[in-house]
Amino acid sequence: MELISTNKSVEICFPIRGHLCLKKVFNSIIMEIKVKKLEEEFEKDLLTAQALSDIEALRIKYLGRKAEINQLFSMVPSLSKEAKGIWGKNLNILKNKITFALDEKSKGLSAKEKRIDLTYPAARLERGSRHILSVVSEEICSVFEKLGFTIVEGTEIEDEWHNFSALNIPLDHPSRDAFDTFYLDIPEPKEKHRGKFLLRSHTSPSQARVMSLSKPPIAVVSPGRVYRPDAVDASHSFMFHQVEGFAIDKNINFAHLKGVLLNFARLFFSSDVNLRLRPHFFPFTEPSAEVDISCFICKGQKDKCSLCKGKGWLEILGCGMIHPEVLKNCGIDPKKYKGFAFGMGVERPAMLKYGINDIRLFYENDVKFLEQF
Amino acid sequence: MRFSLNFVKELIKVDLPAEELAQLLTMAGIEVEHFEKQGEDYVFDIEITSNRYDWLSIVGIAREISACLGKRLDIKYPKVVKSPPIKDKLIKIENNIDCPFYVARRLQGVTVLASPEYLKEKVNNCRINAINNVVDVTNYCMLKWGNPLHAFDEDKIEGNIYVRKARDGEKFVGIDEKERILNRENLVIADDKKVIALAGLMGAKNTEVTEKTKNILLEAAIFSPLRIRHSRRFAGIDTDSSYRFERQVFSDYLEYASAEAADLISKICGGEFTGFLQVGKKPLSKDKKITLESNELNEYLGAQFPKAKIKSILTNLGFIVKESGKLKFSLLAPKHRFDITREVDVYEEISRIYGYDKIKEQIPAIPHEVVKNEIYEFKKELRQQLSVLGLNEVITYSVEADEDLDKLGCNNLIKLVNPLRAQENSLRPSLSLGLIKAVSYNLNRSRANLRFFEIANVYSRQDNSFCESSHLSIGLCEEEKDLFYLKGVIEEIFKFLNINDFEFKEKSLSFCANALEIFVNKKSAGFLGKLDEKIKNEFGLKKDLYLSEFDIASLCSARKLKCYLPISPYPVVFRDISIALHKNKHFSDVEKIIKEKKEYICDYRIIDTYQGKDLEKDFYAFSLRVFYQSKQRTLTSEEVDQVHNAIRELLGKQEGVRLR
Repeated sequence: MELISTNKSVEICFPIRGHLCLKKVFNSIIMEIKVKKLEEEFEKDLLTAQALSDIEALRIKYLGRKAEINQLFSMVPSLSKEAKGIWGKNLNILKNKITFALDEKSKGLSAKEKRIDLTYPAARLERGSRHILSVVSEEICSVFEKLGFTIVEGTEIEDEWHNFSALNIPLDHPSRDAFDTFYLDIPEPKEKHRGKFLLRSHTSPSQARVMSLSKPPIAVVSPGRVYRPDAVDASHSFMFHQVEGFAIDKNINFAHLKGVLLNFARLFFSSDVNLRLRPHFFPFTEPSAEVDISCFICKGQKDKCSLCKGKGWLEILGCGMIHPEVLKNCGIDPKKYKGFAFGMGVERPAMLKYGINDIRLFYENDVKFLEQF
Repeated sequence: MRFSLNFVKELIKVDLPAEELAQLLTMAGIEVEHFEKQGEDYVFDIEITSNRYDWLSIVGIAREISACLGKRLDIKYPKVVKSPPIKDKLIKIENNIDCPFYVARRLQGVTVLASPEYLKEKVNNCRINAINNVVDVTNYCMLKWGNPLHAFDEDKIEGNIYVRKARDGEKFVGIDEKERILNRENLVIADDKKVIALAGLMGAKNTEVTEKTKNILLEAAIFSPLRIRHSRRFAGIDTDSSYRFERQVFSDYLEYASAEAADLISKICGGEFTGFLQVGKKPLSKDKKITLESNELNEYLGAQFPKAKIKSILTNLGFIVKESGKLKFSLLAPKHRFDITREVDVYEEISRIYGYDKIKEQIPAIPHEVVKNEIYEFKKELRQQLSVLGLNEVITYSVEADEDLDKLGCNNLIKLVNPLRAQENSLRPSLSLGLIKAVSYNLNRSRANLRFFEIANVYSRQDNSFCESSHLSIGLCEEEKDLFYLKGVIEEIFKFLNINDFEFKEKSLSFCANALEIFVNKKSAGFLGKLDEKIKNEFGLKKDLYLSEFDIASLCSARKLKCYLPISPYPVVFRDISIALHKNKHFSDVEKIIKEKKEYICDYRIIDTYQGKDLEKDFYAFSLRVFYQSKQRTLTSEEVDQVHNAIRELLGKQEGVRLR
């Protein structure tokens, strides 16, 4: 970079007038050499400056209080009259040029900090998590809340009436085999029809309780823990979670049940899933159905899908129109009112949705598992 | 259950490919779990719901397929011959509730051999092992009609036949060669000297049909479903026969099954039908009249069903259908359908054959009152808040071992009457054990930084009843996180809930050292503390665990709506005081003085603690930084000093407090 032309000034400096004049000429030469050296040094320094901090160091070196250019300015009075004017002006130009050059270079560098290893790992933050079963259960409930349902939680200690008889499940019949139950050593309640105390084997007793206590129209979902004497393995647990839901009004029908469940499946799983209702039997509903959703992984392409095992469908819940006997048992006139009900596990949809392959993971509480959600 | 397609084809023509048939059955309510080609045949593995005993037979399956295909099944019923009577033997039924009806047919001069291939194949493809021609015929007829039969080697029966309850301790060796000790719950078939069958479950080894058998007594009977259910439970066996009896068998088909078996035995095994004996009364199936109104059907299902369709579906299922009005049908339900008693049962029949998929979805408008579930919402918020505080939610079992709960001082537990394992025999009255186990599981896997919480129910006995309530537990097991960190978490919860009236009071707890009871609005709401060293070792924990537990309802009821507090725009200044405290004094004594002197004080905190040699014996020192701020103006240095010096003076007067 050519900062300043010095040839001209040398020419101007050469009229010789005696030894004082000689001294002045000599000073001019020194000035010229020093300016040139300063210029060269600055150019070199400017080239090597990489960071904003380097520019600031140069600013101090070349423009600061102790900068050489200030010494040169102080030399100006020792020059000849003509040279004074020229060098004074030239030094100012040089100072401006240095300032300008530093400003320009710093613009390009403004973003460049001191180089650091950006591949260093991120800091570890201390964060907590809700249990995935809580997340899924709350999510299921919130979908139904959007559809107009209210949440009611029942108790886990129940009696035979609410867990079985009110729901049209005979106490001693093969239809009860699916509901093996833990009994409790609490003395039987005074009301004989309530039978023995037990740990609820499904969330349906809260349905019976709500029906007995309130008048239709009713739309309720009820989440919670349930218990069955199943040996623990990859797909069984003696304690698991369910969400139960039901709606009762004068004109509720089976098509409504289908509509509510389709909306649920699309909000919970994926907006493009379809439903398939297969006729089934539950003592507390008639007609009854098991509900499958179309596999949201293979989208019905079936072949070798690891989720649906090539079936194209995934079973998610059971449902039906509430059996008239159940309505009657709970003090609701089946001639006037109709209702639908559905019940689903929480573990299964959670496993399907998040690819969890072993139910035990939910209850071991390995922090490596918990932290993932 | 498994069935052979070729067997079905004996009764009905089926042209559908197996896959389509599987789909058809599944969508009609017979879920086909699996099907596979077996030679020229297909074997279907189906799940049959507990209400449909009638599907436990080839006749039932064939009827269903016909109905699905829009046809009515025509069954060729065998001729039932009831003579000549057996005169040399008596059959005595002890209790006609356990066994209302018993039929015996005698066949003489049989040759017991392996069955012909076609018979073997049918039986095998229904997954029943082919044994010999006589046994295979009885199984074939059971599969076809749904009524279990049993063939005795008559020459080994001594005297008369009795249907009676087993005597306590009576021994029975079945054809599976296992010995079982019976009791009064078991119903047996016996002769004068011994038990010859466990009724409805299995024949005895002593009268088994073998290659040497010449004469046969063929049993067909109706047993009480409940009796068979109890009997099989006590005997610990589940057989094809008990499965059917328990779900109730159709007495009309009993005669066909028995007659056809006798006929086939004489044809295949070369025996001669020489005697018949029946005891008891064949249970009569009552006519079940149901009136069906098609507009009610349409309303119930939310679809329009064509009248002709209703009629054909029901007719094909075996109903007798009469139009009794413009929109009315009077129906007679098929006798074999015990499960159909009322209109809704018929609605299901129509809709499932018509196809659930043809009913179009609708969204109901339910004009009910929407109520907020306060506790549910509270728990939801609490979960959210605790995870924000860096805690991971755990879910631990509600059912625990009494001996573990006992270690934590929990007693008078509610116990399970029928626990699966001793590890899970009692309901927990506290969530602490769950946390201990979750922490232990993680420590054993070298996991660090364990900050857990759980929200779940606990259960306790109350006089003759019980109490179930919701609790919150918190557990910390992490380096550099101590009781005061836990206290901080708890204070954050109070802050979130806007609870100002809380207090920590020292408490002695059997399973915690340095425990504090937490009072909210002057009422006990929970505790915190460090797990006792001894208990820690008993559970094999390698690190310290800090625990806390709350009653959710107490927290929920104490929560207050938050109200914005104006933020002072004036500067905060602070002054430090170095204090040395005697070990008999508490920080709370210092805190009390500061709290009482409310003027301009907006906050205070300990900035460092010191325990050096230059301190008096039994003293420890800390620096307290007190922050001052006014809501109205900037405080002058003099004003701050004045308040600060007043505090210093008050503190200095206290015994056991040294200002440094």
